[in-house]
Amino acid sequence: MAEFYLNGPLTDGDVTKLKIGDTVYVSGEVFTCRSRLQKYIFDENHTLPFSTEGRNILIHNGPIVIKENGKWRLVSFMPTSSIRFEKWGAKSVDEWNLKMIIGKTTMGAETAKMMKEKKCVHVSPRSVSPNLWVDSIEVQDVYLYDELGKIEAAWFFKIKDLGPFIVDIDCEGNNYFDNLDGKIAQSKEKALEKLGIDKDYKFTKLY
Amino acid sequence: MIKTEIYEQALFETIKRGATEISPDVKAAFEKAIEKETNPSAKRGLITTLDSMEMSKKRENPLCVDTGWPIFYFKVGNNCEIEGGFMELENAARRAVAKATEMGYLRATMKHPITGYDPGNNIGMNIPDFTYQFVEGDFLELSYAAKGGGSECFGGTRHRIVAFADGIKGIEKFVVDSFVASARAGAVCPPSVLGIGIGGTANVAANLAKEAACLRTVGSKHPDPMFAKIEEDLYEALNSLGIGILGAGGDTSVLAVNVEYAYTHIAGIACATSTNCMVARRASSRITADGTVTKMISPNWFGDR
Repeated sequence: MAEFYLNGPLTDGDVTKLKIGDTVYVSGEVFTCRSRLQKYIFDENHTLPFSTEGRNILIHNGPIVIKENGKWRLVSFMPTSSIRFEKWGAKSVDEWNLKMIIGKTTMGAETAKMMKEKKCVHVSPRSVSPNLWVDSIEVQDVYLYDELGKIEAAWFFKIKDLGPFIVDIDCEGNNYFDNLDGKIAQSKEKALEKLGIDKDYKFTKLY
Repeated sequence: MIKTEIYEQALFETIKRGATEISPDVKAAFEKAIEKETNPSAKRGLITTLDSMEMSKKRENPLCVDTGWPIFYFKVGNNCEIEGGFMELENAARRAVAKATEMGYLRATMKHPITGYDPGNNIGMNIPDFTYQFVEGDFLELSYAAKGGGSECFGGTRHRIVAFADGIKGIEKFVVDSFVASARAGAVCPPSVLGIGIGGTANVAANLAKEAACLRTVGSKHPDPMFAKIEEDLYEALNSLGIGILGAGGDTSVLAVNVEYAYTHIAGIACATSTNCMVARRASSRITADGTVTKMISPNWFGDR
């Protein structure tokens, strides 16, 4: 499992070399989004008010940003769970030409399929360390602040060596967590056995 | 009589402390997890998380960007007199939450459930949430817990009625199945503080589980050996799964398993889980009748555990 320092905007070559389990640190210009933005664009038929060309890294995140002396200051940052945005995942990758999504957890099969087609990866944090990250992030701008509110607006960040993140979906459609599920299922069987619970245990059906 | 300005300031300080300072028991659990972790990547994750949490205290910023549902627990002496009464105590808590949000100690996370309207201050219908416990005395103990979205939204909180025929095995099977599903890909931000409520109606079990997750001292044991054994057996079982920090593999999947119980109906055993995120944010303060405010290390919700 290799370690990479990547600079956005990312190319197909940057991401196709990544394999699940690799560690990445990311630099460049990125934008944030949560469900309200995706609903606004894809379900309510608005147009994204900025171009993702040159900014093809998306972070699922609702940051804490406050205004001090007329300037935005990032107080706290942590990628949020991507799986809850699965409904719009494939569309986001396709229409916004994303090469990387940074988010906690992972995405589902539909997004992974589109990621394979369009050459895009999903990467996930291995710690909850906002303070080690805020120093690597410069707030550049914000879009849709009035429409979507402070947390769910699209923030533009310039990031420097943000990480480490683990590649959990690669461009071949492999998912790191799917592989881990098998190992956890095996250890779960052993753990239940130790608790005296049979492999084929059935609850008394009450409802 | 405890004056409004005293309890309002104590509420604000308690929220700020809960949002920005790691509790000593959670820190000790992290240190133990770091020491025994054999997966290098998980070890690094635990160390950087603890480093960041230590920095939050100095920088006075949130331990995690998701500052959660604001939840208050008030342990009230039966003879405690509060200026303005309990309605004013709750109003003061709302004002303190709004102030903490404005100052960036809390994120404006609470929204209208249907429209998504963001009031910008974490105040809305039935939020913050208040729970009371009445005891002998004339003091007031304030606990603030921040229940994170990940820990609450991905099945870390759920319930099942287990038949008496299934007993402890049924309860433990339900807990293991629930935890494995909810911790997948790090959804509930493991290593978790897992609260389990056994007995009562479904909502009683769910409340006990939440209190066990948010208000027990990490590392404490239930005083009844029968329940202490369930805690210990499940702690060992869940830590043998290999889920690890943020679900990416590792030796520590739970920091603690805390069980609380209530008597139940002959018809069945209500069981509930409530998973708290690794940052397990909470803070407590005690105000005596003369208005003296002291910081509490343990919420004292369940006495000495």
